[in-house]
Amino acid sequence: MMKQWGVLFKKEWTESARNFKWLWLPVVFILLGVMQPLTSYYFADIIENFGGLPEGAVLDIPPPSGAEVLAGTLGQFSQIGFLVLVLAFMGTVAGEKSHGTHLMVLVKPVSYFNYLTAKWVHILLISLSSFVIGFAGAVYYTALLIETVPVNNVLSGGAVYALWITFFMTLVLCLSALIKSTAIVAFGSLGTALLMSVLSMYTPDLMKWSPGMLSSHSQMLFFSGNAGDGFWVSVGMTFILITGIMILTIYLFNKKEVAGHTE
Amino acid sequence: MDELTQALQENWALIAPVLILQAILMVVALIDCFKHDKTNGPQWIWVLVIVFINIIGPILYFVFGRRND
Amino acid sequence: MSLIETARLTKKYNGNAAVDNVSLSIREGMCTALLGPNGAGKTTTLNMLTGLIKPTEGDIDFNKDYAGDRRKHIGYLPQHPKFYGWMTGEEYVSFSAELAGLSKKKAKESTNEMLSLVGLKEDRKKKVSGYSGGMKQRLGIAQALVHEPKLVILDEPVSALDPIGRREILELMKKLKQHTSILFSTHVLHDAEEVSDDIFIMKKGKIIIEGGLSELQRKYQQPAFFIETEKAMDNWLSSINEKSWIRQSKLDKKKLTLTVEDVDTARDALLKDPMLHKLKLLKFEVAKTSLEDLFMKVMR
Ligand SMILES: Nc1ncnc2c1ncn2[C@@H]1O[C@H](COP(=O)(O)OP(=O)(O)OP(=O)(O)O)[C@@H](O)[C@H]1O
Ligand SMILES: [Mg+2]
Repeated sequence: MMKQWGVLFKKEWTESARNFKWLWLPVVFILLGVMQPLTSYYFADIIENFGGLPEGAVLDIPPPSGAEVLAGTLGQFSQIGFLVLVLAFMGTVAGEKSHGTHLMVLVKPVSYFNYLTAKWVHILLISLSSFVIGFAGAVYYTALLIETVPVNNVLSGGAVYALWITFFMTLVLCLSALIKSTAIVAFGSLGTALLMSVLSMYTPDLMKWSPGMLSSHSQMLFFSGNAGDGFWVSVGMTFILITGIMILTIYLFNKKEVAGHTE
Repeated sequence: MDELTQALQENWALIAPVLILQAILMVVALIDCFKHDKTNGPQWIWVLVIVFINIIGPILYFVFGRRND
Repeated sequence: MSLIETARLTKKYNGNAAVDNVSLSIREGMCTALLGPNGAGKTTTLNMLTGLIKPTEGDIDFNKDYAGDRRKHIGYLPQHPKFYGWMTGEEYVSFSAELAGLSKKKAKESTNEMLSLVGLKEDRKKKVSGYSGGMKQRLGIAQALVHEPKLVILDEPVSALDPIGRREILELMKKLKQHTSILFSTHVLHDAEEVSDDIFIMKKGKIIIEGGLSELQRKYQQPAFFIETEKAMDNWLSSINEKSWIRQSKLDKKKLTLTVEDVDTARDALLKDPMLHKLKLLKFEVAKTSLEDLFMKVMR
């Protein structure tokens, strides 16, 4: 049983190595990570050069704090980073289904649990590694160019954000396993994440439990080292939701027919 | 302009990694594109996309250009 | 003892039965053909046997001697096999073997053996995406055999191939027959006659004819006459059509096929008939109908 899981996981791993996901996803996250401190640092210079300010006008923008820069980086991750992750992994199951490559795997004595969890762990591993390395780049550049942010704040904030990514990737896997169209998988998962974040922003009182609160908790951790109200509720709820989504996905995948139209 | 160039030069060591990573992304995408004779859509368009659209170009290629069958 | 048996197997899509009340029994050690035109329900039946789709009604029983998940004992080649193109042929077969539970070492050995068997030894290090249709079909057979299944199910293994590729696969199947039980589908009777021991003919989701090949051939071989004349035979035919020794007649302009009860009676009667001579005989031939004729008749 474990052995079969290993075989499936190794297949995922090799595939991602051969189509360079192991290269380009981390690179994209590093670039996103260092871009924010760099642009913050050069912001005043850039505006002066290209902004077309009237002669003699003095630009007086207070330089951003380190915590602000890190929070901005997470903003980049949540937008471009999530988009890139979805594009990379929307087809993890759906692509195999529309190609038909899954048939010859699932006709072997393969447990659907193994098939799905091997994929899940694999996409989590790439996404989280990419995030960690990109975030490390952001922290390093922020320390060099702006100011150091207390290590504890950085680590706790980063860990909370990693949980948000985990939740998001679980959602991607779930939709990919249950829906054949990769476009719908992409819109569905990005839409859900966006909706959760927006609701958390505008009705934080109602959304205390929501995983969508996690990114604002992680930003608060950068600023003060303390998370906001209801932090543990939303962390706990996120773990419960991740488990629930995985169980539901495996259950529904089992119930669904493997072969579609037989042509 | 001078101030910016000066500022950039001072921190050349910080800018260089960014440029290097961009170059790696581009080169790997190009090598892959040339190695496959089948891409989704004409190959020469992908080459242009990879070379001229910074960062996004190679990503677009990896996501949409490679044919994986 | 049969290897796999189905009872009243039915699959409905939106109320329409793609497979309707199929009870079949595959004998161990035999090669069985599932024969039928497009849309007969062959693939649907095979997919139910492999567990890829669930029957709406009915049961499937695998031989009790082979316990556990029946997928362990089945090797399957789908009608349109799709591989991971980024793997090499060798990697793919070995991956399949390990999925089926073989140890790494055993998987490697078995992979080498199977690739030689299907003639892909030379190309084993090439990416599957670069394989031709025939090579993919052979790779598909290799991955179906690699865990030494008790039953190998091949869905139209030769349909997509050119005559040479077809020949190769049929020869390969004859070789395989010695070692395992095979169940394969086809819409060409000739393929079934060439390699199979048992035949099931399906149409519109139902099994309409079943039996051993030689038994069926015997049963459906009937004496017949092929007659060709210069003038049209319509009138003459209607004059003799009621005769008791005629079973069936089929007229195609100036060519007539008469299936009869007994060759001698029929020949005497026909040759003595002056009307037939007036039509100016061109050809008068005694022959036997084959399973093919039956098959064509059934398929229409
Ligand atoms: N998912 C599905 N939804 C609706 N109808 C289906 C589905 N799958 C198969 N059918 C129908 O069931 C019937 C049997 O199809 P099947 O593919 O089993 O036939 P077949 O004998 O394998 O034909 P072929 O020789 O073309 O492969 C067809 O009419 C087909 O259109
Ligand atoms: Mg079919």
